[in-house]
Amino acid sequence: MAEAVYVPRVNNNDDEVKCVGLAVAVGDKVTRGQIVGQVETDKAVVDVEAGADGFVLAICGQVEAVLTVGSVLLWLGQSKDEVAPVESAAPGVAGVLNATPTAKARALLKELGLDAAVVPASGERLSVADIERFVASSGKIQKAAAQRGQANDVVPDVAGELKPLKGEERGMLATVLWHRDEAVPGYIEINYDPAPWDAYAAEFGKANGLLLNPLLSLMAWRLVELACASPRLNATIVGTKRYEYAEVNLGSTVQAGDVLYLAAVRNAARLGQLGFVNAMVDLQRRAAAHKLLPQELQGTTIGFSSMARWKVSRHVPILSPQTALMVAHTVDSAGVAVLGATYDHRVINGADVASTLRKLSKPGNK
Amino acid sequence: MQLTSEAVIAAIKAKVVEIAEAMGCDASDVGPDEIIPATGAIDSAGLLDLIAWFEATYDLAIPTEDFTIDNLGSMTMMANYLLQRKGLQ
Repeated sequence: MAEAVYVPRVNNNDDEVKCVGLAVAVGDKVTRGQIVGQVETDKAVVDVEAGADGFVLAICGQVEAVLTVGSVLLWLGQSKDEVAPVESAAPGVAGVLNATPTAKARALLKELGLDAAVVPASGERLSVADIERFVASSGKIQKAAAQRGQANDVVPDVAGELKPLKGEERGMLATVLWHRDEAVPGYIEINYDPAPWDAYAAEFGKANGLLLNPLLSLMAWRLVELACASPRLNATIVGTKRYEYAEVNLGSTVQAGDVLYLAAVRNAARLGQLGFVNAMVDLQRRAAAHKLLPQELQGTTIGFSSMARWKVSRHVPILSPQTALMVAHTVDSAGVAVLGATYDHRVINGADVASTLRKLSKPGNK
Repeated sequence: MQLTSEAVIAAIKAKVVEIAEAMGCDASDVGPDEIIPATGAIDSAGLLDLIAWFEATYDLAIPTEDFTIDNLGSMTMMANYLLQRKGLQ
């Protein structure tokens, strides 16, 4: 199937750009990322790159011509013999106009405020993919997103007062928005027998004269060990690649009064088990006194959270930005122990998470 | 503020009861020599609140290495630790 190379948007203010160069001709073989031309505005000249490997089937723009942003500059095909799509009346996007939209497409048209008649369909029915292609090529997605953002700024029509967010509240807002807009979250949980962990933590605490029950810190340490053994757990997606962190920065939630912190023990694996437990205590103490350093509130690569204190039966945590796994621990009022995890499905799958939770449900060998 | 063992223990007891109440527990019968974490009256987060209050109230900074059962496990131990650190014992 032929693939279009569109005229790019150079800046938000210009809906048209001038073609100042074409580096290919019909029949040429191009590779993904190869520069096929240049366009300019008053402010800048930018290269246009091929989005895929292929052969140039047709060139729709000319040097010195003023082109509409989002229109087709040229068509690429998998072979020289492929026929370029016929360009529609809508600038730059090929297909059939006035096609009947599918139900999902109709909903998206409504959301974007678009008329089906102006969006070309690639098949008999107008699909969501057709609309997304159309709006992406014309920059309307960004405009629609901006409009949605503005909608959030609308002050409700009920008396009230705007209050600035504190630093930690802004951090939480960023976290929640990343979870919503970037990650593809899933959630899995298992019940487990808490007795082995309780016994292990009691023994550890006694052996080391610890004031605080080290249970949650020890479970978090176990997660650090599992992340070291399976780097996919300690990763995120950058572009179309998985970015595996070189260090495990274990972030844990700490409720201090009405403030919820996600504080990170950086490079946790280097600390060893007791060192990590002490680092967690130190972090929790300073969180309780609201004396955490800014760098301790950033850089989490994997997370652990417990709401056992509140005896909830389940909590589905939010993923911290650029993390793939946030474990959720709780024990409800009936003593039922639960280990759950929110995970980024782009990075790891349900089987990875279930396996990790099973391993986490028992103390390690140490 | 009176820095006698009895006064400090009484203040700690009042705080323990307050923290426990916030979590729906009754700590009114916790004795001065009982190991607080072992009573189950307050959990680890509650203990952190207690220690944060203890440090702020008595202008004391407790290093992590002193964060042990032997130093801070009971109300009596906490009072003794405080008086020792203040050079009053």
